[in-house]
Amino acid sequence: MVVEVENLVKNYGKFKALRGISLNVPEGKIYGLIGPNGAGKSTLIKALVGSVKPTSGTVKVLGLHPLESKWKLREQLGYMPQSPALYDDLSAKDNIKFFARAKEKSSTLNQRVDEIIKFTELTERANDPVGDFSGGMKKRVSLACALIHDPQVIFLDEPTAAIDPHLKLRSWELFRELTNRGKTIFVSTHLMDEALLCDQITILREGEIITTDSPKAILEKGNSTIKISMNDGSQKEVSCPSAPAALAATIAALHVDASVATFEIMQDDLEKIILSIINTKK
Amino acid sequence: MNKALIIGGRVLKQLSKDPRFFGLSIFAPLIIIYFFKLFADSMPMGFPSERYAIPISAFIVHFLSFILCGVAIVQERTRGTLDRILIAGYRKSQIIGGYVLGYLILATIQATAVLAETIWLFDLHYSTQTVVYLFLVIWLLAIVSVMLGIFISTFAKHEGHVFPFIPLIILPSVFLSGMILDPTLLPTWAQYVGKAFPLYYANHIAQIVITPNYCPCTLRPDFIILCCYAVGLLFVASFTLKDTE
Repeated sequence: MVVEVENLVKNYGKFKALRGISLNVPEGKIYGLIGPNGAGKSTLIKALVGSVKPTSGTVKVLGLHPLESKWKLREQLGYMPQSPALYDDLSAKDNIKFFARAKEKSSTLNQRVDEIIKFTELTERANDPVGDFSGGMKKRVSLACALIHDPQVIFLDEPTAAIDPHLKLRSWELFRELTNRGKTIFVSTHLMDEALLCDQITILREGEIITTDSPKAILEKGNSTIKISMNDGSQKEVSCPSAPAALAATIAALHVDASVATFEIMQDDLEKIILSIINTKK
Repeated sequence: MNKALIIGGRVLKQLSKDPRFFGLSIFAPLIIIYFFKLFADSMPMGFPSERYAIPISAFIVHFLSFILCGVAIVQERTRGTLDRILIAGYRKSQIIGGYVLGYLILATIQATAVLAETIWLFDLHYSTQTVVYLFLVIWLLAIVSVMLGIFISTFAKHEGHVFPFIPLIILPSVFLSGMILDPTLLPTWAQYVGKAFPLYYANHIAQIVITPNYCPCTLRPDFIILCCYAVGLLFVASFTLKDTE
């Protein structure tokens, strides 16, 4: 396991930000953290990168304690915070170089910087001050800073919020490419369409894990609506669980024959299911 | 050291990209010194402007270095860059070292400009040795101020929190460090309080070197204390600069 968290608690005074989180992230996967604002997503990521000291519980990343072995661990992790956290007076290139120099000493640094600038499509504005950039452009620079040293495990806190759909798609293509090369990505998001792109997701609410599963398994926890229009103009609507067995049994019970004009299955989307899970467990 | 140089280079690059800030940091002290010259010229005959000119120059550099560095470090924290660069692999000591290097260049330019203007405006005739000592003391005070700014930033959650430390730390030193008044005229307890401020030692050196026929050996204790102040604050700042929540 790349990330191992056991009963993690973080309190800020009386406020309980994380209430006994336990999770395991396998190598080479995209692990999504889903939850509303204030669920504890950023605090959990900060605890994993060693920026937040847990009140209790154990955390291990790549087998290392994020605080006790922080320098060894930080060599191998990439982190993109929720806010861009960049130097506005410096250009995109200077920002990326500055973060690269924290770890890299190699002569290939400039080449890597140019590659990452090209990937994040910043080439045309690489020498402009970041302060003049839009929110989406700043996210691109921030992502470039997190990936510049080719880390083993990458923590991304809402990386594609405010990014245009084109770059969002490109970013997720890259995330998949990185996991195919054995890298592990831990990503928080409130965008449900992105949750579908993860290998596994954990839904967090008020510092607690509501559920952990694959997006497919979570989709199966929803309902499907079967709409049937008959040749004589009458309509029928049946609801059933989305799980394949239940759906198959419901369809079989409907005895679909030549009298059916149209047959439509509408599955609950992930957003609806997740909101339902969050609200049910309140 | 290498990474401290990288951070120092970044600080300087940031300063150079903001010519308005950079210009103000240099010209504001020069204007203040000119106002003091006007003030001194308006005083009755016999006003010892020489006694005040250099200490006031030192104070201006001290004040500006403290504020600029303190605010810059707090900005690093509020914008999330401090957290991020620590996670990226820069260490606290490298960050502090980098800030000292970066702001030291600014403070060196400030010290040179302020000292040159003061000597020229007040028509002061000092030996080269005295000018070197004066420059050294202003420069050393600037290092201490940068450290003090970093230390104070620990107690500030945003930029505005740095300012209450001006009446708490900077302004008392004006009255108790001997800049305006001979500190031996103060009550004993106030003399002890005055000795807690680095400006006290900088002022003491300045007052000695502007007197004719001084012995450089008398400067040693004050220089040592200023150096200890800088090293001590470096350690304290290293411990108090938070790297975890």
